[in-house]
Amino acid sequence: MELEPGLVCPPLEFTPTRVRLFRFSAVSWNSHRIHYDQEHARHEGFPDVVVQSTMHGEMFARTVLRWAGHGAVLHRVEWRNHATAYADVPLTCSATVRTVREADDGHLVELALTETAADGTVCATGTVEVHIS
Amino acid sequence: MTERSEGIKKRAPAVTPSDEGGLMTGDPLEEVRARAARLRGRTERVRLGEVTVRDLCRYAIAVGDDEYAVAARAAEAAGRPVIAPPMFLTGILSWEDGPPEDELRPDGLGAQESPCTEGLPVRQVHGGQAVRLLAPVRAGMTINAERSLTGADRKRGKAGDFVILGLRTEYFDDSGTPLVVSDESVIVLGDGDGA
Repeated sequence: MELEPGLVCPPLEFTPTRVRLFRFSAVSWNSHRIHYDQEHARHEGFPDVVVQSTMHGEMFARTVLRWAGHGAVLHRVEWRNHATAYADVPLTCSATVRTVREADDGHLVELALTETAADGTVCATGTVEVHIS
Repeated sequence: MTERSEGIKKRAPAVTPSDEGGLMTGDPLEEVRARAARLRGRTERVRLGEVTVRDLCRYAIAVGDDEYAVAARAAEAAGRPVIAPPMFLTGILSWEDGPPEDELRPDGLGAQESPCTEGLPVRQVHGGQAVRLLAPVRAGMTINAERSLTGADRKRGKAGDFVILGLRTEYFDDSGTPLVVSDESVIVLGDGDGA
């Protein structure tokens, strides 16, 4: 793998099922009803239960680590939510290398990420910095 | 997580219900800003608790990373350190035992998870987050955090006004070694029916 700006990483596709949202709320002790109570989510103006913001960050991190391989170390993960993502709607995380610089017997690589719903809606964008030996 | 009996607070930057009081102005978003202004400059340090292998495996499986759990249990069995998924600490919303169900807000959040908004007819969503990972988190570590409110800016959007609360959480191990720094934004929106 030649590290250079513009390199596109394999996308990570996943579907945030209702069970996954429930278990993530449970394990993170997040009782916000918009994530598991459809009636309440509709009351707040959402058509269905909502994917947790921290799930976006987790999937951005996973997208990069899966590509960077064993021994890669994340330094920074940033993201901004643009549109709400909903249960059972497939999401795709895409990453493109933005910068590469030598650092500590390896490379410090910054990537730009986008998470897109099946209908093309951009749900989140972000940046991840990872050290690759 | 192994929790302390006094309870663990997260996303509660030096905010307690007694700090917040009732609705004091006719504009709930201005009241959020006023409460935030009173909290600026304060830092709250709390002991979150010990991280266990089960915590880490449950987190990983909940987000669909089944391979992590297999590797973590193998490392544990072999006596090797079990390193947490990088986003584990910041992925946990609350480390408290509670609050009891009848103390939750109508939207399900606890007062400590919704700073500056107690008793106000507002709702909130997460705007985004910046996480700096400074050192690995291992099972068996006891985690401490320092939290502060870094900003409260009122904005105008297509659907009306809102306030962006800035919250910083810095995580340390028991020796004071910095592990993770998180800056997040919480968007507080007006909600006339109080849900």
